[in-house]
Amino acid sequence: MKKFKRIIGILFITGIIAAIYVWVFVYNKPHKNFEKAKPDIVLAARQCYDDFSEHKALEGGKVVEIHGIPSGIENSDSMVVVYFTFKKGMFGDEGIRCTMLPDFQKSALALSTHDTVYIKGFCSGYNGTDVILQSSSLIRKPNI
Amino acid sequence: MKRLLIPVFIILFALPSFGQRFITKTGNISFFSDAPLEKIEAKNDQVNCALDTQSGFFVVQVLMRSFVFEKALMQEHFNEEYVESDRYPTAVFKGKVQNMQQINFSKPGTYPAVIVGQMTIHGHTQQVKATGSFTISKDLINASAKFPIKLANYGISIPSIVAGKIADELEINTDFQLKPLKH
Repeated sequence: MKKFKRIIGILFITGIIAAIYVWVFVYNKPHKNFEKAKPDIVLAARQCYDDFSEHKALEGGKVVEIHGIPSGIENSDSMVVVYFTFKKGMFGDEGIRCTMLPDFQKSALALSTHDTVYIKGFCSGYNGTDVILQSSSLIRKPNI
Repeated sequence: MKRLLIPVFIILFALPSFGQRFITKTGNISFFSDAPLEKIEAKNDQVNCALDTQSGFFVVQVLMRSFVFEKALMQEHFNEEYVESDRYPTAVFKGKVQNMQQINFSKPGTYPAVIVGQMTIHGHTQQVKATGSFTISKDLINASAKFPIKLANYGISIPSIVAGKIADELEINTDFQLKPLKH
């Protein structure tokens, strides 16, 4: 009887620990930290745009690092977007739009449209006009 | 001279058929579902939207992977099991404003709007009628609408294990701050 109670007790505690684990690490697991994530693809901004829009060689859902000279920086509401323009279309400028993480908004607004920048973010894909990079961060290359 | 005049005439004749186009690339779409198992809410603030104020042509392009959920697991399930973002990365709405004669795009104010068109989600296209409003101010049109969609109409199936606990209808809220397209 004592042994049976002990087994029930162990099973009960194990169940509770498993439930807590699932609640914390599965159900409420945090969003991926894209600033620290290793890029799946590293390429030039122009190449990235062409691969998505024309060659259809890339798909979204990956962490992508691009480099190139930005065409401008957009500041609207609480969003800062660094964009690279390669084409004109129905929606005006078309290219790559990188929505910056809050910690990088200030430094993104100070970027020059003459210098090469390195940006990493989660690529959600090509929406028919632009390649979208979300949760983007600026990468400081050691020799720049 | 005659050769030069003909293309000029064609261009001048064609110009009035293109109204001013208003666009945004940072439009907002959110959806909400309240069901016994849990509330589901997601936002996407990188939506393309264009409105031609002469023809009433209205188009919206959405990247499904740009929807952000409070819970990472929910976001994963949405992309992998429900809308299958790998196979169907975008959703598109193409329609027309039906009550153009009641809207004066050059006069500030709020006007009710009825938009009818085809919405494609998850590879399935359905006719949609959305009612909302256009709020017109100087150099800006705010287009907003709220409408429900049934998941089954777009081939989005809810796993039987959670059927009845997740709503089969979502309430979609849209809000677009449209600015004139600069050529």
